[in-house]
Amino acid sequence: MLQLLRRSVLVFGLAALFVPCATHAQVREVVSKQVSVGRSEATLSLEFSDDGALEVSLRNGSVLIDGERVGAFEPGGELDVAWRELLGRAVALEDGPLSQALADWTIPAELAGSLADVAQAMDRALETALEDFDVQVDASDGTVSISIGNERSFLRALLGSADRLGLLPAALEGLDSNVRVHVGEDVDIAEGESVSGNLVVIDGDLVIRGEVAGNVVVIGGTVDLREGSEVSGAVRLADARVLGNRGSVREGVVEIESDADTDAEEGASAARARLRNEIRNEVRREIRVEDRGYDEGDSALMAPFRSVARAAGGLIENLLVVLILALVGAAATMFAGDKVDVISETARRAPGRAAMVGVAGTFLLLPVWILGFIALAISIIGIPVAIAWLPLFPLAAAAAAVVGYLAVARNAGEWLADSHYPWTGWIRKSNPLITMVGGLVGLMALFVAANVLSIVPFFGLVTGLLIAGACIVTFLAVQVGFGAVLLTRAGRRREYWTTYDAHAAWDATMDVDVDDDVGTTRGPGDVGGEEREGA
Amino acid sequence: MRSTILVALLSAAASSAVHAQSMRSVTMSRQLEDNSEVQVSVEYGVGRFSVRSVSKGLLYRMNLRYDEDRFEPVAEYTGHSLDVGLESIRRSRMRGDWESGELHLELARGVPMQLDLEFGAVHAELDLGGLALTDLDLSTGASESTIDISEPNRARMRQARFEVGAAEFTVQHLGNLNAEQIEVDAGVGSLVLWLDGEWQRDAHLNIDMGLGALELRIPEGLGVQLHKQSFFTALDSEGLVKRGDTFESLDWSTADRRVTIDLDAAFGSVRVVWIR
Repeated sequence: MLQLLRRSVLVFGLAALFVPCATHAQVREVVSKQVSVGRSEATLSLEFSDDGALEVSLRNGSVLIDGERVGAFEPGGELDVAWRELLGRAVALEDGPLSQALADWTIPAELAGSLADVAQAMDRALETALEDFDVQVDASDGTVSISIGNERSFLRALLGSADRLGLLPAALEGLDSNVRVHVGEDVDIAEGESVSGNLVVIDGDLVIRGEVAGNVVVIGGTVDLREGSEVSGAVRLADARVLGNRGSVREGVVEIESDADTDAEEGASAARARLRNEIRNEVRREIRVEDRGYDEGDSALMAPFRSVARAAGGLIENLLVVLILALVGAAATMFAGDKVDVISETARRAPGRAAMVGVAGTFLLLPVWILGFIALAISIIGIPVAIAWLPLFPLAAAAAAVVGYLAVARNAGEWLADSHYPWTGWIRKSNPLITMVGGLVGLMALFVAANVLSIVPFFGLVTGLLIAGACIVTFLAVQVGFGAVLLTRAGRRREYWTTYDAHAAWDATMDVDVDDDVGTTRGPGDVGGEEREGA
Repeated sequence: MRSTILVALLSAAASSAVHAQSMRSVTMSRQLEDNSEVQVSVEYGVGRFSVRSVSKGLLYRMNLRYDEDRFEPVAEYTGHSLDVGLESIRRSRMRGDWESGELHLELARGVPMQLDLEFGAVHAELDLGGLALTDLDLSTGASESTIDISEPNRARMRQARFEVGAAEFTVQHLGNLNAEQIEVDAGVGSLVLWLDGEWQRDAHLNIDMGLGALELRIPEGLGVQLHKQSFFTALDSEGLVKRGDTFESLDWSTADRRVTIDLDAAFGSVRVVWIR
């Protein structure tokens, strides 16, 4: 780094010797302007015709010139207000009038102390940037000729890329003192023209049609060797490329690479290889874990407990499902209990019919969804409804399936309560919620059994069969429930009517639990019918 | 009571979202270097969007107003290629008054230009009159757009393409585009095409429409031949005579300028309206 700095100082020192020799000022052409004003920022960015640029910004309490902090300001203070006023005028101006307005800007008289210094720095930056800087130094007596297109481009050429600075010593190595240097400008050696000595082009493009009696060095640009051109030395390229090589180069074209480039490339290559190995090892490890079901890093002693942990996880998962469904069921019973009753009744009285309707409804879901959207979209007025239709229809279908499943679960709970199986005594038919929870546990019993059995080794097949059975039961329950929801129009249309039955009432009084699963008749107009069951 | 509380909460949330954003105004411009053809690409997501021509020796001037926390302006000019617009700087849910953003773009009048416009959910008012367009590619999402070619195009256009998503889309003075081939690809929505303006040559208009309503406003004196290939699409072809598979205006064979329209529509309606 120190070496790099030393080189920079040498280069700038060399340039400083020549730069003051022939400076003349004129108005610089602004080709691009950007005025950006926000709550905490007021920035002016200019680009000039010679690729120069300037950015003055008041941002978050700091004054920045070309990104460098030169001081502080108070938001809303005099400097901020004056700067924003200037930018307000600059918005409507272009090129000449814009340059004039910016150059004429004077700092507010009220400013004092450090704030005045900051404002002066801004003013100086504007004036300096707007003055055209054109230097031509030509020491034709012999040894060095430097042509600099523009100070900013020269500085940018050297500072813009630290790599280029690093390339300079290698590129210029061995050149004698007879050197012609062009910085930040394009050079064209015409046919018949002869350059005696070395030719260096920095940050510019070189076209050679004539002859160069020496070496050619191009840094940060291109070289085009046209037909008939001749270079008696070598063409050295540093961060540059050859556009065409139809001439004669006695010592050939040499690519200059800095040590840093080589090191960086090797470093990048090593990093790539390291990353590749890491990814490969990670993928292999993942595959092993997938195959064996556990990570090699785990202790082998823990292996017997893994299946227990897995089973416990499955049980907790199932309990959570029951809990969530019970909560949904409680809400449904509380807010639409009568509709759940109707759905439940229909699912119980006509499970086959409900299942067929449910399967048909499931198959029709997708076409109805699409056609419904199309039908709504055809009418321009319906387009907003169509947009709502897209997410709401699947949500409604999912809600119907869940409510239907809960209604079937209630039926299952009632059946379990009547069955007098062990462990079913807690299911009380007088409480629809407990009945529903009981039914949910019953419907998911096969899942629970599969979880418990997965602890025992060598029972994989039985576990698989239990899971398959559980899936079938769940599928059937959902289809019956969904069909019942469709048949009853979400519980709004009663398919079966419950009637009073003296036997049932007596039984209910004796058993305490109320059993309303008796004495039903088909159809709304047939109240008092005699289609008794279970009597 | 509950609804009152809900409304109050929503209002508070909305106002806090609005206040949370920090709007920034940016003005950008670039001087015109020469009259070489320029490739201009404009990209804008949400807000109000306008384009018109400018004749002050400028290549472009752009006024932007946007939420600086979410977007940043783009203005790149390299080798006769200009990219301008606004791009998102972070992925976040759109909240608050994001529609208050604006982009007003002025483009050089008379400079040969390939124009590529891409905008999303915006309210767009584009006046392309006075521009010298050699190629036009316009793509929009769910927008409410009015495109007017208020003056005849100063250059001969190779092709104009309009790709419309779900939008209310109106193009006025299509004849002023000076294009031989005009492609309109519309998804869902309402499409109004004014075939008025100064037709300098016969042209071909290709319309591919998904769902929605298309209205063709045709000036009297312009010869029109319509080839329709549709599915569930109603055609109100007033003033057109059916000859075989095509519909023709009465003066098709004698008209000075003739426009052939290929229409491929899926669902919706097509209406022909004659203008004096």
